[in-house]
Amino acid sequence: MSQTDVMKQEKSEILDRIGKDSGFKTPEGYFDEFNSRMTAMLPDVEITKVDEKPSLWVTVRPYLYMAAMFAGVWCMMKVFTGFKQNISTEQRVSEIATGIYMDNNADEFIMSGGASDYDIMTYEDSVMMDTEIEP
Amino acid sequence: MASRQTYDEAAVIERLHHQGTAREAFGEVIAHYSSTLYWQIRRMVIDHDDANDVLQNTFLKAWTSIDNFRGDAKLSTWLYKIAINESITFINKKKVQNNISLDDDDSFLVNTLESDRWFDGDEIQVKLQRAIASLPEKQRLVFNMRYYDEMKYEDMSQILGTSTGALKASYHHAVKKIESFFDEQD
Repeated sequence: MSQTDVMKQEKSEILDRIGKDSGFKTPEGYFDEFNSRMTAMLPDVEITKVDEKPSLWVTVRPYLYMAAMFAGVWCMMKVFTGFKQNISTEQRVSEIATGIYMDNNADEFIMSGGASDYDIMTYEDSVMMDTEIEP
Repeated sequence: MASRQTYDEAAVIERLHHQGTAREAFGEVIAHYSSTLYWQIRRMVIDHDDANDVLQNTFLKAWTSIDNFRGDAKLSTWLYKIAINESITFINKKKVQNNISLDDDDSFLVNTLESDRWFDGDEIQVKLQRAIASLPEKQRLVFNMRYYDEMKYEDMSQILGTSTGALKASYHHAVKKIESFFDEQD
């Protein structure tokens, strides 16, 4: 819609009758006098020089920082998952070794009185469970 | 907006940002915009002497914060915003001085209009000013900018930070309220 069409749409009978003269007036030569007076009364200010166009480095810097941040997060995740995998492998070897040792030496350990009644019951339950699960 | 053939806004803005040329450039800004801003302010505060004070404060504020103007928006938009804020601050101060609630409309400003030596309007013009002053502040601003200055809604949107759709609606409501004001009085 053109500016003229909008103006036509906004027409008001009352406003048309009154017209656009508000009846406000200013003293003769007011603006010339004001401009001179205003310019003369401006206090001293310090103007900081503004760079019109930021340098390439200033423009690119935030994107580089963001890219570095994502790269850092990715590296940390990579290191963390790799470390976790190593740990779990070592743990598994250790657990297997402990299991074999326990299986071989459990009877000897129990007989020597090194285990409490509760330990013995738990051990027997686990042996029974293993037996049930085995096909 | 007022215009002078020698006024080159881009060059003026460039000079405003240099210590040696800023003052002279701002003098050109004053000469270029004083009339436009004066009428915007005058229609808000009604009284000539008050409008003169507010206009003076507007330019002083613009000058002392010229560093904040980076040229992202138009200079006219920036100046209009300052002028509107200064006008509203002035009206609110005047309301406090006259023990009028800040929530009330600005009709009290028109009470002295007929005795104002810088007003030579007739009865119907006083009535229109009374009707405009009874509008909510934003509608009043929109009405003045549109009706008297014939400002484009896009430019108004930049100054008032409101969508063009909302401004059109605001203007429409303002006109309807003014018409109702006249109907009630007749």
